[in-house]
Amino acid sequence: MLMTTLPEWLSDNRGTTALAAMLSPASSQSIETLAAESRAITLRRFGRTMTLYAPLYLSNYCSSGCAYCGFASDRKTPRHRLEPDEIRRELGAMKKLGISDILLLTGERTAAADFDYLQRSVAIAAEEMPRVSVEAFPMSVSEYRALADCGCTGITIYQETYNRERYETLHRWGPKKDFIARLETPARALEGGIKTVGLGVLLGLSDPVEDALSLYRHVRHLGRTYWRAGMTVSFPRMRPQTGGYEPPFPVDDHLLARIIFAFRIALPDTELVLSTRESANFRDGMAGLGITRMSIESRTTVGGYCESENEESKERTDKGQFEISDNRSAKEFCAALRRQNIEPVFKNWELSYNGPSSNIKLAM
Amino acid sequence: MDSLQIGSYTFSSRLILGTGKFSNSTVMLEAVRASGTQLVTVALRRFNREQAEDDLFGPLSAIEGITLMPNTSGASTAAEAVRAAHIARELSGSPFIKVEIHPNPQHLMPDPIETYEACRILAQEGFLVMPYIAADPVLAKRLEEVGCASVMPLGSAIGSGQGLATSEMLNIIIRESGIPVIVDAGLRSPSEAAHAMEMGCEAVLVNSAVAAASNPPAMAEAFAEAVAAGRKGFRAGLMQKSGSAVATSPLTSFLGTC
Repeated sequence: MLMTTLPEWLSDNRGTTALAAMLSPASSQSIETLAAESRAITLRRFGRTMTLYAPLYLSNYCSSGCAYCGFASDRKTPRHRLEPDEIRRELGAMKKLGISDILLLTGERTAAADFDYLQRSVAIAAEEMPRVSVEAFPMSVSEYRALADCGCTGITIYQETYNRERYETLHRWGPKKDFIARLETPARALEGGIKTVGLGVLLGLSDPVEDALSLYRHVRHLGRTYWRAGMTVSFPRMRPQTGGYEPPFPVDDHLLARIIFAFRIALPDTELVLSTRESANFRDGMAGLGITRMSIESRTTVGGYCESENEESKERTDKGQFEISDNRSAKEFCAALRRQNIEPVFKNWELSYNGPSSNIKLAM
Repeated sequence: MDSLQIGSYTFSSRLILGTGKFSNSTVMLEAVRASGTQLVTVALRRFNREQAEDDLFGPLSAIEGITLMPNTSGASTAAEAVRAAHIARELSGSPFIKVEIHPNPQHLMPDPIETYEACRILAQEGFLVMPYIAADPVLAKRLEEVGCASVMPLGSAIGSGQGLATSEMLNIIIRESGIPVIVDAGLRSPSEAAHAMEMGCEAVLVNSAVAAASNPPAMAEAFAEAVAAGRKGFRAGLMQKSGSAVATSPLTSFLGTC
């Protein structure tokens, strides 16, 4: 099945020796040493601040069969899609919480939630929020261009795992099954004028150290090829969810922390992201030590923000894409950051910077 | 009185403070006060009219004796920076604009071509244009030609704390410039600020060095003193560094006696 050869950058070893040395749990560098270095770099480059964003699930229709996902097309999960007036209501509820930086999510491309639907949703969101990013399905360069023209500045697209065989086993059917097509998606987004791409691996699916090294290669490859590219790196880790999938390569807190510190040291200027998948204890601990961007008030169900304004929401039985571990309100979460001398930053962007980027691909 | 003159504005303090990266606005405001600064820069993207707690502009504008200089940090093109400058002037009422255009959001190095274009437009529109630039002597003169009020070359990369890594180029910029040269970015310690002033900079801008210090207000005060001392040293005329040693056998004996 391995018809197409892998891109050369996946075996580019510039910088990986030093990173591998830090990533190995058997490393001579103690986690405490890495933490101190990571903290110092973060403080110098990003200061005592944490940029905040919140996800908005537009739709949980999905055409793919990701073995680990609660929204895979064979799950019995009830399917919803937010209509324009519902999106506006959700945005209104989010704005009341102070949120001005959002990530719009859908499943893989379906008739119910296709490109036109996504584009309309982005346009609605961009009327309300200065910063709108999208985590949806891979698109063409011209589709990305159209989203950028509507005010979308960022795309999140995780490779999930860079191990091709594992990837093809885990993605049982649907468009996501094509490993190479997925691998090339961030480059297409940048060529389409999207300013920032968010990369990541879903920790737990495959050998975490190997995946982290490939993720680093991907970041460096994109940075060299598209010199204007903004990049963020996330560290999502498998948690229990609807499908009951047990991650075959579980990553414990120590290893996750080590990976984050190593990335901060290896990529001192790159925003590193940690979501509410992680516990309050882990998030509070990692704030200031390397992470510079966090999600807040996450609802991983479709329509979750308005529901939580109503009392009966507590009765809701729908499960989200994954379970939130840090359930604190924005207020509680910000108070915890402030106790650590870190300023939560809700608005760190300006509408006037939302024009498409003029990325030109450089031959490597 | 030795004061910093920019356009029609006169400042007795030669320390300009950046306002990002602080742990909260109370500490930031304390640092601003402790520094005695009269010119403060604030990113347009940190203006938040919808949420007072998240807004940097409101509390800064309430301090008396401070002139605000909005900056375009986040802009990646001249067009974006020009739009941002218009909005910033509308919101703040300040004629100052610090032009920061960094198309690569990782290292934040300023784009000379987009910066030149934005400065040309904004100077024509009557802004007091203060561009953040790489330490490039030719670009500095080109920006002076189009009417910038100052040039702000970087000492080293933003947030790197590498000090005056560009000092060779800074010396040329200072020697040749007809407008104030203000070192912006990269300073870590008060002594580096003093050094920049001794070299002949008209002012320095610091942010990370204060915001990331253990005690930001105390560090702000230390920078203020260092800047004042460096300026005094410059004005007093530094002793020449020793030149080349005199050769034991004269180099010019072949000229004969006159």
